[in-house]
Amino acid sequence: MEKEKITELKKLIRSRLNRPMRYYLDLCTRCGLCYDTCHVYNGIPKREYSPVGRAEVVRRIVKKHFRPSGYFLPYWGDATALDDTIMDAVYEAAFSCTGCRRCMVYCPFGIDMPHILSIAKLLLIGNETAPEELVMLAEAAVEKGKSIDLFKDGFREVIVDLEKEVQKKLNLDHSEGLIPMDKRDADILYVGLSGAHSIVHPAVIFNAAKANWTLSFFEAVNFGAFLGDPEKMEFIANRAIKEAIELNVKEVVIVECGTAYRIMRFMMGKQPFRVSSIVEVIDRYISEGRIRLREKAIQEAVTYHDPCQLGRNAGIYDQPRGILKLLCSDYREMSPTREYNWCCGGGGGLVALDNEDFRIRSGKPKRDQIVATGARIVASACENCIMQLGTIQSGYGLDIEVKFITELVTENMII
Amino acid sequence: MWDSIYYFIMVPMVYLAFAILILGVLFKLLVIFFSPRIKATLGVFPQKLPRPIGVLKDSFLVPAAFREDKLLWFFIILFHVSFLLLFIGHLELIREFSVIQIIPHRVFLGGGWIGIILIVSTLYFLFRRFRPPYSGISVPEDYILLILLFLTMIFGSHMNLASLYGTAGFDIPVSDYRTYLSSLIAFNPLLPEGITGSPHYVLVVLHIFFANLFLMLFPFSKMIHSAFTFIAHNTKRK
Repeated sequence: MEKEKITELKKLIRSRLNRPMRYYLDLCTRCGLCYDTCHVYNGIPKREYSPVGRAEVVRRIVKKHFRPSGYFLPYWGDATALDDTIMDAVYEAAFSCTGCRRCMVYCPFGIDMPHILSIAKLLLIGNETAPEELVMLAEAAVEKGKSIDLFKDGFREVIVDLEKEVQKKLNLDHSEGLIPMDKRDADILYVGLSGAHSIVHPAVIFNAAKANWTLSFFEAVNFGAFLGDPEKMEFIANRAIKEAIELNVKEVVIVECGTAYRIMRFMMGKQPFRVSSIVEVIDRYISEGRIRLREKAIQEAVTYHDPCQLGRNAGIYDQPRGILKLLCSDYREMSPTREYNWCCGGGGGLVALDNEDFRIRSGKPKRDQIVATGARIVASACENCIMQLGTIQSGYGLDIEVKFITELVTENMII
Repeated sequence: MWDSIYYFIMVPMVYLAFAILILGVLFKLLVIFFSPRIKATLGVFPQKLPRPIGVLKDSFLVPAAFREDKLLWFFIILFHVSFLLLFIGHLELIREFSVIQIIPHRVFLGGGWIGIILIVSTLYFLFRRFRPPYSGISVPEDYILLILLFLTMIFGSHMNLASLYGTAGFDIPVSDYRTYLSSLIAFNPLLPEGITGSPHYVLVVLHIFFANLFLMLFPFSKMIHSAFTFIAHNTKRK
């Protein structure tokens, strides 16, 4: 590796040496308690797929370039200089981690491993070896943010078609205005995804609840975060924030996407509006009597997969369970559950990469959990999780159906 | 020549070790304090307990270890409680503390067992690292620190045990240790004849030497977890 490149990469590392990073880097005693708490290690038991194994790759580089011991006595902590070989290990560490933070719950010091891996992802961007798919998707999202006016008309045309679907589901005689956009002073700005389902189901729910809402022109998904580029991550999240402020909405409701919700709620600082997940809103509408569901309408056994970014990393456990318990006569809890629940293996942008075999193998603990419940329907509230659960289903040949919470709600809503 | 080396270990090196320890920890904390804050919050949920209580619970009871590996948790608790008792024991080697003597005892609580428990725990931590998967993630620092602790403890424990139970007796009385340690604290170092003239002086020197090394490495090794654990648990519960 050239000297200039090393200098450039060192500068990137320095930019991430923030407060938590400082103590996370020094704190680990390598006790190994996190070793088998990672679903990837559980499915593919290799050291480099353990949380501590991944974090050590970053620590060794930091020790070499930022610690006197790395200079004078590299042997002390296995300090390793930046070179092409270690960059391969950096890639393996960064893009085998879904950022689920299950290891953090089992760490006696509460070390946030994905926070450490943000250095790894930044190094890959600097080294121009970050996954191309994510680079392109993040750049496209940034470009859309820069020139949204060019996209608006095309988007409106698509929405007209989706309004007809909503009309059908609501048995209405008109479709105009069922998916409002650019509506000032609305109570809610709903941020969906590019898939029609992420707009149609919530639109049915909002209309049934007679909500004063408007649809965002942007997708909630943040490829900047998956890529690990802090500037792009901020820019992408700020698109919807700016829109919400301009429209003067009271609340921003995020689609079933765990990462998007966590970013908006916990990573962008304080905002002048409330941030909610669509499942929180559905739960609220049910308790306020604004929507009614056919109670116990689903007879088949149903289980719920807690999306890591929504549950463990955002505290939304009870609302989806409340909805499902109302809808299902046979609700079954996974074991372990809630903050100890296994990650499905799809987060951190991994479902966007060409790595299906890896994801099937690392999805083994999730497969085992699902099979143990005996459930026929696996519900979840995250796009990435639903896609990965589909991969696990086909990869292991499971006889299950994977469904969004919003889907189950609209299918069983009393109109 | 050996006299000079012994004196260096017993006096200047002790000051050096404590200076590095205190300034090192302070430096580490200042580095954190002057590093940029982030606007994200890094908490995990649920957060049932009030934050300060949760932080104390996570730090002192180590529930995460209890859930994952009960044997390791047992030794973690045993080691740290014993370490605290040992610290109290060393305070009593400086001078008498009537508060500590509420339960009357000979200097060093536990009649020698605390040292043995610590040695056994240290050996458990060390041997655990020899086998996979832990051997795969261990770096030389992990072994060296444990070996250093073992050496410090084996000499310290020997000094205590031999004075209590040894047939040959360990001829350095508590009063001489008190003269030595309190003089160090008063910055007026004295090495009593009772220590330097003892045939066991070399054992005292070795104990102090390894302890000095350990203290000097403390801020720049993973031992800093004793300070940072509270900060990290606080972040986890924000």
